[in-house]
Amino acid sequence: MKTLKRAAINSSAQHVFDVLRTVSDAAEPPGVSDIGRRLGLTGSTVFRALTTLEASGYVSRFRNLPRFELGTMPYLLNRALLNRFEINLASRPFLRELAQETGETVSLNARLGWYSLRLSGVYGSRDIYHRDRLGELGFLHHALPGRAILAFLTDADLAGMAGFLADRASEWPGDAAWTEMRERLKGAENTGFLAEPLTMSPGFCAIGMPVRDETGAAIASITINGPVFPSGKIGGLLAVRDRLEALILADPQRFISPFAHLPPERILLKVPRRKAVP
Amino acid sequence: MDQINHAVLENREQNKAMARILTVLSSFASDRPEFGISELSQHLGMTKNMVYRAIKTLVEQDYVMRDPTGQRFQLGFRVLELQNVTSPEPTFRTLCAPAMQQIHELTGETVSLTVRALDYSVFIDGIETRKPGVWRLQIGALRPLHANSTGHVFLAFAGDGAVTDYVARHGNEAASAGEAMDAAAMVQDIAIIRQRGYATSVRAGMLPMVSLAFPIWDAEHNLHGVISVGGPKGRFEPALDGLLPRIIGIVETLCQRTRLYSANAAGSEITL
Repeated sequence: MKTLKRAAINSSAQHVFDVLRTVSDAAEPPGVSDIGRRLGLTGSTVFRALTTLEASGYVSRFRNLPRFELGTMPYLLNRALLNRFEINLASRPFLRELAQETGETVSLNARLGWYSLRLSGVYGSRDIYHRDRLGELGFLHHALPGRAILAFLTDADLAGMAGFLADRASEWPGDAAWTEMRERLKGAENTGFLAEPLTMSPGFCAIGMPVRDETGAAIASITINGPVFPSGKIGGLLAVRDRLEALILADPQRFISPFAHLPPERILLKVPRRKAVP
Repeated sequence: MDQINHAVLENREQNKAMARILTVLSSFASDRPEFGISELSQHLGMTKNMVYRAIKTLVEQDYVMRDPTGQRFQLGFRVLELQNVTSPEPTFRTLCAPAMQQIHELTGETVSLTVRALDYSVFIDGIETRKPGVWRLQIGALRPLHANSTGHVFLAFAGDGAVTDYVARHGNEAASAGEAMDAAAMVQDIAIIRQRGYATSVRAGMLPMVSLAFPIWDAEHNLHGVISVGGPKGRFEPALDGLLPRIIGIVETLCQRTRLYSANAAGSEITL
């Protein structure tokens, strides 16, 4: 099984980044000794790293306790990265139109290598709504937004992704589950969208619509996370998506991902654990 | 003893080097997509060699990467790992707080943060001066948009026709409440604000006050809110020429960050 491997840097910088990642990954805001235990570092090394990170806004004290959580800076960096995808801001009017039409949360996810990245979300008018976190990452096969992209990739891409996952045994859903998922996604080629049941709203589905480039491959997807299907509205919703695709076709260079120059297997990210295929 | 001193000095140097690496990474938290080494060096006041070494470390960690031309640097995908679902995202207030503190420390005067609520401006945060002659901050207080320069900033950047529509909606109502609205003067003031990019105003009275009001921009050329700073005319006005460029610099740096978020009609992305 391959693991993430990056070049060595000097130990002081490495400790600071390790401490930052530990704070970022923690289920509860950790203290100096928690971090030290986890990383095998002395209390003074961890304390020095936290002081440097706090001064730069990367971590902050949790409720004035000797515990730490992420500061403002990592979130700003995240936002800056999301805004680098031209489709993010360009899609907003279309997402708003869909949110207004359905009253539900509408999200835009982009393809990033073999991952799906939530770039944008617009909330509808309903009191009870689906709150999506921007910057959320998952493998393409993990959830509806990614699967709506996966359904519109080439066979060669799908084979590439299968190889990537197979190299990381814990991520591979298994031959049978992968084949079953591919069969299920084939239906989307005819309808132009995916509908998946909502566990909290029996009888209703959320829908995922691919956003395709001039080659027909999905570069992103729009997801409507509410009881919108079956509703008879689907034709109107797809028409909004079609207008976004027309905007992309008119100027395809503008909408190329900022990471398109990297081979997908070069993009290695740690994603939260979740059930691979429903 | 020499060994101990050497270790202390080495630690201090390592901490400084690490702080520089984080400062270089923080430069990418803006609406500018990419930087060259020289630009960063100029922007941060570091030597090119320092910037290059910091960038090298950040590239090794995938937090920064070369752009497709190979000449410039952009954010790397690995910053996406730095998020925690249990941590709160920054709010508009927390984003603005450091800039408000800087403006307060620079001027010594009262600084306030305001957002628009329909046809009113609402104070949501502020720092009062400790000097005599305080411009009182009332968090939650509503002011009609025509009543002060902060409101004029909201109208100035609300699009063509916003002022005409506002006067049509509220002209009679304001007059009857004893707050005469001089529509022509307001239009003139708004034209100046649009041209200058911020508002200045003098309020007459027993203690004449001078204030500045700056728009805080979002990702889609809309306003999140307005930051104002003001104080007694006799005290604040003489210092303004020297202070203004520095206040503008602080606000521009803040806007590089607030421009990462949208404040749209369907609900601001960012919590107040």
